[in-house]
Amino acid sequence: MTATQEMYNYKVVRQFAIMTVIWGIVGMLVGVYIAAEMAWPFLNFDTPYITFGRLRSLHTNAVIFAFGGSALFASSYYAVQRTCHTRLFSDKLASFTFWGWQLVIVSAAITLPLGFTSSKEYAELEWPIDILITVVWVSYAIVFFGTIMKRKVKHIYVANWFFGGFILTVAVLHIVNSAVLPVSLFKSYSAYAGVQDAMIQWWYGHNAVGFFLTAGFLGIMYYFVPKQAGRPVYSYRLSVVHFWALIFTYIWAGPHHLHYTALPDWTQSLGMAFSLILLAPSWGGMINGIMTLSGAWEKLRTDPILRFLIVSISFYGMSTFEGPMMAIKTVNALSHYTDWTIGHVHSGALGWVAMVSIGAMYYLIPRMYNREIYSLKLVEWHFWLATLGIALYIVAMWVSGVTQGLMWRAVNADGTLTYSFIQSVQASHPFYIVRFVGGALFLSGMFIMLYNTLKTIGGAKAIEAPVLAPAAAH
Amino acid sequence: MFLSHVWGLFAHPTQEWEEIRKERCSIGKCYCTHVLFLAAIPAISGFIGTTQIGWQIGNSEVVKLTTDSALVIAILTYITMLVAIFSIGSMVHWMGKTYGTEQPLPQGIALAAYSGTPLFLIGLMSLYPVLWLNMIVGLPALAYSVFLLYTGLPIMMKVNKEQGFLFASAIMSLGMVVLVAVLTVIVLLWGFGVGPVFTSSFGVLAPFDLV
Repeated sequence: MTATQEMYNYKVVRQFAIMTVIWGIVGMLVGVYIAAEMAWPFLNFDTPYITFGRLRSLHTNAVIFAFGGSALFASSYYAVQRTCHTRLFSDKLASFTFWGWQLVIVSAAITLPLGFTSSKEYAELEWPIDILITVVWVSYAIVFFGTIMKRKVKHIYVANWFFGGFILTVAVLHIVNSAVLPVSLFKSYSAYAGVQDAMIQWWYGHNAVGFFLTAGFLGIMYYFVPKQAGRPVYSYRLSVVHFWALIFTYIWAGPHHLHYTALPDWTQSLGMAFSLILLAPSWGGMINGIMTLSGAWEKLRTDPILRFLIVSISFYGMSTFEGPMMAIKTVNALSHYTDWTIGHVHSGALGWVAMVSIGAMYYLIPRMYNREIYSLKLVEWHFWLATLGIALYIVAMWVSGVTQGLMWRAVNADGTLTYSFIQSVQASHPFYIVRFVGGALFLSGMFIMLYNTLKTIGGAKAIEAPVLAPAAAH
Repeated sequence: MFLSHVWGLFAHPTQEWEEIRKERCSIGKCYCTHVLFLAAIPAISGFIGTTQIGWQIGNSEVVKLTTDSALVIAILTYITMLVAIFSIGSMVHWMGKTYGTEQPLPQGIALAAYSGTPLFLIGLMSLYPVLWLNMIVGLPALAYSVFLLYTGLPIMMKVNKEQGFLFASAIMSLGMVVLVAVLTVIVLLWGFGVGPVFTSSFGVLAPFDLV
């Protein structure tokens, strides 16, 4: 190694990787607390700042954008450097994305409990923060695509296509959906009116799921699964085909969030049709992931990290099957507004997004310090707590959701409703307790991960790694 | 012998799976000595529970199903369980190649059928159809079924433990997909007006009544 040898920028990867663990704990802790509030409402102690309505958006923002976002930044910055055989395009700009993103998260943690909200789901933050997000996100795009431009190999690896697609689409979604007319520093009105506003919101909302929580994390899957399994992607052709199919199809599926509303009926049906088609590209990704892992069985004995990846792909397959089913209008007539939806979201968010992120962080963090993970036994404990937690959560929400759906549509012979709303809440109460237990188990796994991380990096020196020369052409 | 493996699967699961494998049971025999009986437990218990005992929401009156309605549901439940065991068993057989093993179809079906034993037995709980209680009691049964699948798969399919873990995880995912598919079909049927009929004076609003 000579003095002029180019090094990878590991600093920003390290920062985001550590913050993934920390924001994961914060976001899930808020989640467990509001789950407890649902079961035992006195827990808000009549304090407006910690009522369910305010903490719920803090929970979703923290787990999606703080935990999930940090995992995406860390893994995309790592993967793009390694697969392009070059250092990040700009260290200063990369550092700005880290500190800028942390500022966004802290602003969210302050303004949401204070009650400042645009009231748009998953886009609650008020306009000054939205502008900051835009600036950070454009910088992210410049760093990412700038790195792709200066790559030393001709080919752009498929994980980068997924990361790139996610970065571009989220930029468009965020800017369009956040268009508002500000009336004061913390109050604004949407640029769109009525049902158009709702449609824009769910075009954004569903694609936050489709691109932020799916395409980006498929990028993680396509880099870290082959790495951890030590073998190439099962079918590279399938990965490219399902990339284009996925981004073409996802963008149309939003209207299924607005079944039986004022949205024109044909738009609802269109959204339902595209949601059903979406099953094909989603399962293309699942099959590719599962088949890549299937050949790595001999590593399972020594590698509990692989288990996280296996379970995450299983849940990806299950929830991408469940989603299209729930988008069928007749099914949605029962499932919408019930806990079934909450269960579905969490089988995706905990089962897929969190599990694949945790797997990727267990891969990444020790490598950033050139150490082995402190305890594989604790990784195994984390795995079982997380899996059991998800199982309890989902089963509870299925039963509760179907019960609510049936009770809400039960009518007497004279056409009056059989049950009052509060009776359905009574029926759900035991399931809220089970959901709380499930969430608490998942959170306890995260604490084990934090301990394991601290033990791994404690006293270790951060390393600098030289940029690898591309393999000779073949 | 009828139901000969039930006790063994709880007392000494690994040993019992070895015996099940050696038996090389035919599909017909597996169904006649095991599945047909055990699947009847949840179906019959559910029928009795929903027509005779019923359930209560809060302080409201006790809700039951009419005999005709409960009978149809019980029969459909029974058939669904028989079909589900067969389809999961076929999936095990079909996936075998991917995981480097080719065992005859009956072995896959036996794996599905015997793994389901705890869930079939706990079906007795639906004599007392209180959902949250059924769930609390059902979860350990579900956990034991999952345990049986993970221990039984390497033995029945003759793969090593690590391969078995991957294989069983794939089967678990498929199991969840089958579960969601069944749930979807049920909800669709309700939506089209084919649903449970309650003894009290109310019905269920179909989405078509809304438009």
